[in-house]
Amino acid sequence: MLPFALILSNLFALGPQNSQPDFDREIAPILATYCLECHKDGNIKGKLNLTTKAGIEKGGKSGPAVVSGKIGKIETSPLLVRVMANEMPPKTPLPDKDKLLLEKWVLAGAIWGSNPEAPIDPFRFSTSGRAGYDWWSLKALMPTATPMNFNLNPIDVFILEKLKGSGLSQNPQADKRTLLKRLSFDLIGLAPTPDEYANFLADVSSNAYEKQVDRLLASPHYGERWARHWLDVARFGETDGFERNQKRPNAWPYRDWVIRALNEDMPFDHFARLQIAGDVLEPNNPDAVRATGFLVGGVYNTVLGNDQMRSANRQDELEDLVGTVGQAFLGLTVNCARCHDHKFDPISMEDYYRMAATLSGVNHGERSLPLPGLAQKIENAERLTKNLETELEALEAPIRSTLIKERAKTIPVTQHPPKPLISWDLRHGLIDSETGLALQPQGPVQLTPSGARLADNSYLKSEPIGKTLHEKTMETWVQVNPGQQQGGAPVSLFKPIDATFDAIVYAELEKNRWMAGSDFFRRTKSFQSTDTLEPEPNTWVHLAITYHANGNITGYRDGKPYGQTYQSSGLLPFEAGQSRVLVGCRLEPAGGNKMFTGTIAQVRIYDRALTLEEVKSSFQHGDIWPNRREVVEKMPPKDQLRHKALLTQRIELTTELQKARSTQGEKVYSVVAQKPNETRILARGDHTKPGKLAKPGVVKALGELELDANASDAERRVHLARWMTSPENPLFARVAVNRLWLLHFGAGLVDTPSDFGFNGGQPSHPALLDWLATVFIQKKYSLKALHKLLVTCATYKQASTPRADALAKDVDNRLLWRMRKKRLEGEVLRDAMLQASGILNLQVGGPGFSDYKVIDTGNGTTYYEPFDSDAPELQRRSIYRFSPRGGETSMLDLFDCPDCATAAPKRTATTTPLQALNLWNGPIAIRLAGTMAEKTKNETKMNQEQVQQVYQRTLGRNPSEIEAKLAGELASQHGLRAVCRVLLNSNEFLMVE
Amino acid sequence: MTGIHRREFLGSNLGLLGTAALAGLLSPNAHGTNDNPADDFRIAAKAKRAIQITLVGGMSHIDSFDPKPALIKLNGKTLQTDSPPDLFFGQMGLLRQPDWNFKPRGNSGLQISELFPRIASQADKLTVVRSMVADSANHTPALFVENSGFQFNGYPSMGSWLSYGLGSLAEDLPAFVVLPDGRSGPNGAASNWTNGFLPAEHQGVALLTGSQPVRDLNPSVPISREEESASRNLLRLLNQTHLESSGGEASLAARLKSYELAARMQLAVPQVADLSKESEETLKLYGLDNRATIDCGRRCLLARRLLERGVRFVQIYSGGAIAGTPRHSWDAHENVKENHAAESLRIDQPVAGLLEDLARRGMLKDTLVLFTTEFGRTPFTQSAKGTVGPGRDHNKYGFSCWLAGAGLKPGIAHGATDDVGWKSVENPVTWNDFHATVLHLLGIRHDRLTYYHNGIRRRLTNVHGELIDGILA
Repeated sequence: MLPFALILSNLFALGPQNSQPDFDREIAPILATYCLECHKDGNIKGKLNLTTKAGIEKGGKSGPAVVSGKIGKIETSPLLVRVMANEMPPKTPLPDKDKLLLEKWVLAGAIWGSNPEAPIDPFRFSTSGRAGYDWWSLKALMPTATPMNFNLNPIDVFILEKLKGSGLSQNPQADKRTLLKRLSFDLIGLAPTPDEYANFLADVSSNAYEKQVDRLLASPHYGERWARHWLDVARFGETDGFERNQKRPNAWPYRDWVIRALNEDMPFDHFARLQIAGDVLEPNNPDAVRATGFLVGGVYNTVLGNDQMRSANRQDELEDLVGTVGQAFLGLTVNCARCHDHKFDPISMEDYYRMAATLSGVNHGERSLPLPGLAQKIENAERLTKNLETELEALEAPIRSTLIKERAKTIPVTQHPPKPLISWDLRHGLIDSETGLALQPQGPVQLTPSGARLADNSYLKSEPIGKTLHEKTMETWVQVNPGQQQGGAPVSLFKPIDATFDAIVYAELEKNRWMAGSDFFRRTKSFQSTDTLEPEPNTWVHLAITYHANGNITGYRDGKPYGQTYQSSGLLPFEAGQSRVLVGCRLEPAGGNKMFTGTIAQVRIYDRALTLEEVKSSFQHGDIWPNRREVVEKMPPKDQLRHKALLTQRIELTTELQKARSTQGEKVYSVVAQKPNETRILARGDHTKPGKLAKPGVVKALGELELDANASDAERRVHLARWMTSPENPLFARVAVNRLWLLHFGAGLVDTPSDFGFNGGQPSHPALLDWLATVFIQKKYSLKALHKLLVTCATYKQASTPRADALAKDVDNRLLWRMRKKRLEGEVLRDAMLQASGILNLQVGGPGFSDYKVIDTGNGTTYYEPFDSDAPELQRRSIYRFSPRGGETSMLDLFDCPDCATAAPKRTATTTPLQALNLWNGPIAIRLAGTMAEKTKNETKMNQEQVQQVYQRTLGRNPSEIEAKLAGELASQHGLRAVCRVLLNSNEFLMVE
Repeated sequence: MTGIHRREFLGSNLGLLGTAALAGLLSPNAHGTNDNPADDFRIAAKAKRAIQITLVGGMSHIDSFDPKPALIKLNGKTLQTDSPPDLFFGQMGLLRQPDWNFKPRGNSGLQISELFPRIASQADKLTVVRSMVADSANHTPALFVENSGFQFNGYPSMGSWLSYGLGSLAEDLPAFVVLPDGRSGPNGAASNWTNGFLPAEHQGVALLTGSQPVRDLNPSVPISREEESASRNLLRLLNQTHLESSGGEASLAARLKSYELAARMQLAVPQVADLSKESEETLKLYGLDNRATIDCGRRCLLARRLLERGVRFVQIYSGGAIAGTPRHSWDAHENVKENHAAESLRIDQPVAGLLEDLARRGMLKDTLVLFTTEFGRTPFTQSAKGTVGPGRDHNKYGFSCWLAGAGLKPGIAHGATDDVGWKSVENPVTWNDFHATVLHLLGIRHDRLTYYHNGIRRRLTNVHGELIDGILA
């Protein structure tokens, strides 16, 4: 028996004329939501496939699931029987209303949907519980004619029409002072100066207001103001987050680029494209590379112990990328489909992994900005170098092989030692015998006949290597000093740009043993060696580590394998011109347990992974390898001259190359592209459960990318950027105009600015939203044009006074019968305080400032503690302030500046006692109150004039008679600072009305 | 503003505001859509407040709360395991017996090792969960999960969720207070008590040592009492006048009230932080008479005082930054015996004292005490193959935490790891389950306390979380 209420509600819902449920809209979603996970192709439990008409009629183990075509009975449908008995779905029974629908459907003859051949597509239609392909925001922009009313801004026509429908009217226009304050804070985030107020108040021309709009939009501070909003969306932060949480000293160029792009009114579609693919769209444009800081603005875990952690972490990085791109530009939470199809929007898991594949070439890192023509110059020099080396080798090879033969009469040719790329014999100097690469001593290195003796933090450091190393072998002959050492490296291949390295490391994780050290142990595992423990007193040890293209790493000691080969997380390339060899130090900065103590006789680097036989012969016969000087001595004089000339050219070229490479542009934290890895759909989002391959693409409900499965990273991102910003994508312009609306009016037309899906808000004015989006596209995505449109409408210019009648009808002001009051955002408040006290440093652009004490304990984590200072460079606008993740609470956090660990498309505005404590007692507020008082007292000695002036500075007006009296009393009894402190805390100062 | 706070303001501001303002109070401005629509997450509460002692670094369960007699027999043998373990350093030595002896304790006979002799004396109050499992064997992600249910920066911590759901019992103190280890903050610092995307009022307030336990409690420069009072008067007057002229806006009234609360906080915080009125006996009970225990003891005592005055949730850290020598955390890679003995010495007496003190004051009846660590340690040592070393690596597959107080079955152990303490095999408990249970005891349905953020109504427990029925009274 069904409960009576349910039967009633069912009758009510379906109605008599509607006794046959609509399969597509009502039944298919039920099957899709509750049944298909276990009854579809690829996962057919009980041999029952419920995705097609044929499948459902064929049925499973218990026979046909339904009998279609004739009026059925419950008993004839095993599906219905089991659902009614709560046996299916296995864990949670179906909601009663869905049971009733299913029953109706079966009883009415189980008619399949409009297309009997097509399998169920759960996303086909929107339902009361989720969005389908027909969801409003996915539809093309509605063609909306511009309303023809010459007296009104078209926006007002839309707004007034809705208000009229609710019997409401708008507030009158706000007074001029209020208007200018509103406009100035909205557009540039700064208060009008007393002069600006005076000018505007005195301007009686009909376009006085418009002139102010134009002035403010042309201000360089406009970009500073609006960049803040975009950085919130881009979850831009300047530390890595997680455990180490290290600084990103070169993240600021992205912020700077955003400010400049906005000031230049870069078309928003171009602005978006550069952030997705600037480095590949315009590889020679430094700004385009800076723009990709967007993709890597989020957190990045640099502490990953093992491969499982790395692999899981990579999936998290991709989720951050997909989430950020999807939300920022499409207003879709694609990231919600990582573990299952989106619960509310027509986004499948496959869509998610397609989008992840599109972005799978993106990695965090630093790179140098391109300089025009430089790449070509380097390429030419590299080609010439290669030619020269071929010629040199042609001269040397026959002599070398003769020399080896002479010296190695007893050694079979097959065991001749391999040719190194670089070879230092430290018993005879610091110049490499193969390419002439020099080592520079750092600290008190002792050069002795038996090699370089290293102690007391001394080590050797090479010039940059001229060749990119992929596969490689590092080899050395060493004597380990007895005594405590834990992590020194006789040889390290080190890339200073990102502090990555591969090194032969001693005793770091296992006492008395060797390992293949690497940055944060990324490519390190134990060799599990049971070989002799080091150090054996006064004994030379030969060590070699080979790095294979497939990521395998093998260690050798004295020509024999050292423990076992292991699979590392992958080969790290060491780029030409960026990598150096360190002898005796694991990585720079030198010091601590990174230093090796002992004697090093020889170091060799090979540009390939040697075989066991080669390592063995190098160990046994390495000394017979003739160096270049010995080879040249044996040449006929003519060849010697030729050789000398070639070598001179070669050395000149090397110098030139090094110079070219070192003149590479400034470093930026940006996308460092990699070859996209194969992307697979992961069951429940679990990296250990890879399934079907995912081709690069986008959300199917919106379109496709014309891309091959093996398309390059550049192709993927360029396609994504072009598709995303095409005028045919309705979401791109809708989402953008709504963001601007939200920030001007205090609430969006859609109040969830990064979510236009089912869980988001519905537009309060759908026609207006689409009209604005259309106009935005017509105006070539000019943000400034859009700003002007918004701030010149009467709706924007209304007073913010609440009215009882309107509150009763529309308490949320969704219909815009008044302007909303807004409290200054944290950054704006700080800037306004600096401005009022007369010490705001208005320097535009460049590296930021930090009012955080950085406490790096050397214990693997970094703490950021805010401090206050009156240093002029710290009095800049807050947009330039260093933004760490997980810093100790500062004034800005208290005033709702979001944690930059996640995107914050809409800020909250709280009111808390801690804010009051901070603004009343905190060092910034009290210091600035003092500064303001001093500046004022320097300008005028009269008590009443001083009070008047601090009112002007803070509130932009003169005090009333009573205010002047009370403030004057406070000033005379306790000093002018007290008055300034009160004003900085006043509601009038903090509120934009 | 949450529903709760709105009601709070309504109650206290009725006299001040006109009708328009009242309507305005109900008018959420830009941040309105996230109010909990109703109190439908509320259920009957067993506990009114909670305190969590968070051991950073990974406490070894097999050396403390999870007795493994088999491990003594298997000392020096190889662990038989089906899958390669997810270890941080990837070194898998031989099995090592516990470094401390276990004994049955109290009337309950609950087995606890000599590592925590004082806490062991409170065994009859403890509810040990011996089958915890963690999502990550990497410290910071694991600690983030322990605190927020997610491995990443930026998700609200449990204390923030409690503040959001329950508010504070005291207007003059924050709802969520954090007391970091005196040596240093944990890895990730304030990210561990972040409000994430919840409104800023819910962030954990770290109380500092010294005369200003809360930042900006007093003016940053000396200001006379007279100036202070005259300044406050003028501010109030300005704001009142402005409020009236602007038609009685709710957000403006709220700012007025926030200054009153701040003034009260200025009085309340020094009072609560002042331990001088506590008896000699109490100070001793918390170990304030001993150099080793004074840091943790002071914080445990302060925590009790905060809870007494209405703070909802206090989190005490045991352990600071993970790496470094000597270690200032429970991360005993090198030597469990040395490290854990030193760390235990710092907290054993204070935590036991706290339990005893709460009980004798009758507070344990409606207070929840949590003793947690982000993961456990391996039964085998972190050393070369075939050797028994002194240190143990991270173990995410099985570890122990305990709870005490309101709504729990005392003196029991729930769940079990396998014979050697490697993996949880009986009633495994995830952090989502743990959080769900804590919320349940505090009167919250974990699946209904939500906050909309970027497309999802977020929960502390993500989309998981089952109550640990076996421990509920």
